[in-house]
Amino acid sequence: MPAFTYQKCSDLSQAMKWLAEDKDTFLLAGGTDLLVGIRGGKFKARQVADIKDIEELKILKEDQKGITIGAGVTLNEIAQFEPVQKNVPILAEGCNSIGTYSVRNRATLVGNICNASPAADTAAPLYCLGAIVKIAGPGGERQVGIEDFFTGPGQSALKAGELVTAILIPKPYPQGKGVYKKASRTRSVDLATVGVAVQRWGQEVRIALGAVAPTPVRASSVEKAINEENVTDAAQAASLVEKDISPISDLRGSREYRYHISKVLVRRGLEETEEVCS
Amino acid sequence: MTEKLTISFTVNGMEEKREVPPHQTLLKFIREELKLTGTKEGCEVGECGACMVLLDNIPVNSCLVLAAELDGKELVTIEGLAKNGELDRVQKAFIDHAAFQCGYCTPGMIISARALLERNPNPTDEDISAALSGNLCRCGAYQEIRQAIKACSK
Repeated sequence: MPAFTYQKCSDLSQAMKWLAEDKDTFLLAGGTDLLVGIRGGKFKARQVADIKDIEELKILKEDQKGITIGAGVTLNEIAQFEPVQKNVPILAEGCNSIGTYSVRNRATLVGNICNASPAADTAAPLYCLGAIVKIAGPGGERQVGIEDFFTGPGQSALKAGELVTAILIPKPYPQGKGVYKKASRTRSVDLATVGVAVQRWGQEVRIALGAVAPTPVRASSVEKAINEENVTDAAQAASLVEKDISPISDLRGSREYRYHISKVLVRRGLEETEEVCS
Repeated sequence: MTEKLTISFTVNGMEEKREVPPHQTLLKFIREELKLTGTKEGCEVGECGACMVLLDNIPVNSCLVLAAELDGKELVTIEGLAKNGELDRVQKAFIDHAAFQCGYCTPGMIISARALLERNPNPTDEDISAALSGNLCRCGAYQEIRQAIKACSK
């Protein structure tokens, strides 16, 4: 492991101080991506600032605004949180599809988002839920919609010195049914070759995909066909997804395969959530 | 050179105070400083589970944790399960069911199994698969491991 210094942060201002002092400071929450990345040379860290025990980042609560998930909250804590299971189970599904049980005991939702991988398993569900990202930085606090947070592979809307403090799943929740479908080479541990989230409520549907574009994307063409043009045939609607994605070939799958499997997973997601339309 | 950090913690019920380099993983610290070599090094990227330990009673991959993060916490390794020379019931069940061949994954398997039985004394097959999703056995003793865990359930 390459050498770095370690700073334990007891509050947010300390974390921001370390970020401001050294641009090669990396924040440690779960560490499941960070430590692998430092060891593998992906991250050149001079300093690691541990934020996981900062009290205000451990928030996991539901109130009149919705569900707030702090940066220190683990994926298992989220998947087991009753308001998540009851109101937005699609998020629990996304969380549970990452890594393994023991990795999810450490890994965080905010960390998954901040890595800004186009394949982040929690991203597609968060797109469907209209999640809001809460950011703190030298200029104060601000919020951005989850779709504006991802700007490219490994790139996010975070500016120098800023950190994500929490994710808000706003009310009203899209009550109805949501599913997250993931194609991967093995059933656990692997990243998504394609990930598809479908959330239906009333006559409306929202669909998002991961690992098929530089950022997670909404399937706007499919949504429009169903929500505005009264297309009811799942296969017909799903075939439109090719307009919304621009996949590449990599070790997990070819561009052609990703086009194909995207249509399949969108169709399955539509079929599995059809019951809420009747 | 980076300065060492002083950490205080409990390991297998004993209070300890040590100095650690800030970039040392918990796995390296357990094996090379505490000399508790029951915890194994496998993939070092959190996929195989050979390095599983209990940190504040929660199973974690010690290759993905820094030793510095141990400060103020309670660590249990495979060596901490036996009491007064008597093996823990999960350890006994693994022997009774021959739930291993080479044994390299066994400490991690038993740590994960112990944690599962603590939070769910009567796990289904599906519960066992989910809880042990982070433990790989290259010998393929999965059926025997499942039987050993079932034998411990109530």
